[in-house]
Amino acid sequence: MAIIELKNVQKVYGTGAAQVVALKNINFKASLGEVVLIMGPSGAGKSTFLTIAGSLQKPTAGKVIVGSRDIAHISTRESDRLRLTQLGFVLQAYNLVPFLKIKEQFELVNKVKKEGNIGAAKLQELLKQLGISSLIDKYPNELSGGQQQRAAIARALYANPQILLADEPTASLDSENVAEVGQLFKKLAKDYHKAILLVTHDPRLEQYADHIYEMMDGKIKQKS
Amino acid sequence: MFLAIKEIKREKLRYGLIILMIFLISYLIFILSALATGLASENTQALESWNAQKVILNINANVSMSQSILTKSDLKKDALTKDEALVGQIPVVVKNSKRPQISAQFIGIKKEQFIYHDQELIAGRRAKKNNEVTVDQAFKTKGYQLGDKLALNGSAKKYRIVGFIKNAKINIAPIIYGTLQSWKKLRQGMPTLRASAIVSRNPDYKYNYQNCKTYPIDQFIKKLPGYTAQNMTFELMIGFLYVISLIIIAVFLYILTMQKMHNYAVMRAQGIPSSTLVKATISQALILVLAGLIIGLIATMITIKVLPAAVPISFTPKIILTGTIGLLVTAIIGSLIPVRSILKVDPAQAIGE
Ligand SMILES: Nc1ncnc2c1ncn2[C@@H]1O[C@H](COP(=O)(O)OP(=O)(O)OP(=O)(O)O)[C@@H](O)[C@H]1O
Ligand SMILES: [Mg+2]
Repeated sequence: MAIIELKNVQKVYGTGAAQVVALKNINFKASLGEVVLIMGPSGAGKSTFLTIAGSLQKPTAGKVIVGSRDIAHISTRESDRLRLTQLGFVLQAYNLVPFLKIKEQFELVNKVKKEGNIGAAKLQELLKQLGISSLIDKYPNELSGGQQQRAAIARALYANPQILLADEPTASLDSENVAEVGQLFKKLAKDYHKAILLVTHDPRLEQYADHIYEMMDGKIKQKS
Repeated sequence: MFLAIKEIKREKLRYGLIILMIFLISYLIFILSALATGLASENTQALESWNAQKVILNINANVSMSQSILTKSDLKKDALTKDEALVGQIPVVVKNSKRPQISAQFIGIKKEQFIYHDQELIAGRRAKKNNEVTVDQAFKTKGYQLGDKLALNGSAKKYRIVGFIKNAKINIAPIIYGTLQSWKKLRQGMPTLRASAIVSRNPDYKYNYQNCKTYPIDQFIKKLPGYTAQNMTFELMIGFLYVISLIIIAVFLYILTMQKMHNYAVMRAQGIPSSTLVKATISQALILVLAGLIIGLIATMITIKVLPAAVPISFTPKIILTGTIGLLVTAIIGSLIPVRSILKVDPAQAIGE
């Protein structure tokens, strides 16, 4: 059963002469326990795909089904709620709040979402697994790129979403770290039973994926 | 609150500077208002200490007590109760060979009447004889002492200080309280002279016989020489100060918020509701302004303690209240202006950096 599915999704930016069709008739699905890679060259529409799958933007046409619900036309408030509860983002360093210590990032989630978070014991376990237990009293800019990455993953998983979305998660990592992060995503998908969508043009991640999609000029094709 | 405080903690320098700015502005507002109030009160201190409600003057005196003369025949029908007092006012130059020369206002009063009894002594006693006077504390700060003998307007007759009195100023000059007899002598008028005015604590008192006319105290104060012009100047100055500081603080808070748009986008992407961000912004503005205000208040109080007593300054609860409310409202306005931008933050901005 797919946890997230895009059906005939189209996204058009701008109007008239400035019009850009960023997504053309996209069909896509991913299930729990899977790592799915979306690959493609710059300008192919990968980030646009991710923002629509992650309910950060609305598609111009088509359906985006999360769980069993079409989220293509939900209200801002419902979409906030969805991102808070069911979708986790890993966006390079940028999904950590810069003025909060790592442990406070989790506190912030507790403030706005009292229930359904993974709880202190599970969090400890997760942090240990990610190798950042000793860093929770630091601010994001006191961590290395890879550490920020893993802190961002912990932050995304803390709210216990079913779907994890990551944009270029290996952009600033060397090969060794890429392998580590790749394995980590694979393990998280299995252990925590998540659907993990990775948008990347890094071929080194291919070996950790269950499925690979290829994007080109706004179109998508399943490769494996 | 959580976000507001954490952010201030993380960016101590930036927020410290903003608190410093708000502190300086509130300090300026408080000190200027206190000075203006202090100066204004030097016009009316005595009237306030008398608790005067009505003043009866000669109709031709242009509402000026020192110009007014009430004669025996004017006062033929007066019915003075314990709430009325006769007052004789005359400006005097005070000389004493060992002390600085002072321009003062001589106020002649009667021992049986309330002004005499209501004098708030800080040292010495009330005057009993015609050659005795009590004087405002300003004399004390200028070095005068009990027992000093004063020549008034070059008189041969000397008046001895027997007491110092708190808050006795009128027309920005310190008062010398003596007897009505002494006033008559200084005034060198005709023998039918009785007083300059009747002062009443009774708001319903009225006496309009012959040349007498009854003025409500507000009207009398407005006509004090220079009082209205002076107050208008100060009110305008402080009014401008408020408006300008309001704009400055609002602009600062606006810039501050706009600089944080990227953080907002990140949090919006995480699903943090915009209402949480708006609340954080407003509470942060209030925290900053309150911190600045409190430091401003403390600094003002210290300044007033340190200032020489001769500087007229009066830091009233009214000033504190207006300043505090004014700046808090400013903070709310300043942080509300960018709310629209916060609500419009596109969480998709967090992606695609
Ligand atoms: N907000 C926008 N307004 C107008 N056009 C946009 C906007 N965002 C993206 N586009 C256009 O849509 C197309 C796809 O952009 P997108 O950012 O999705 O590409 P991408 O695959 O993520 O590229 P990259 O690998 O460089 O990040 C591009 O032609 C881009 O110019
Ligand atoms: Mg992109």
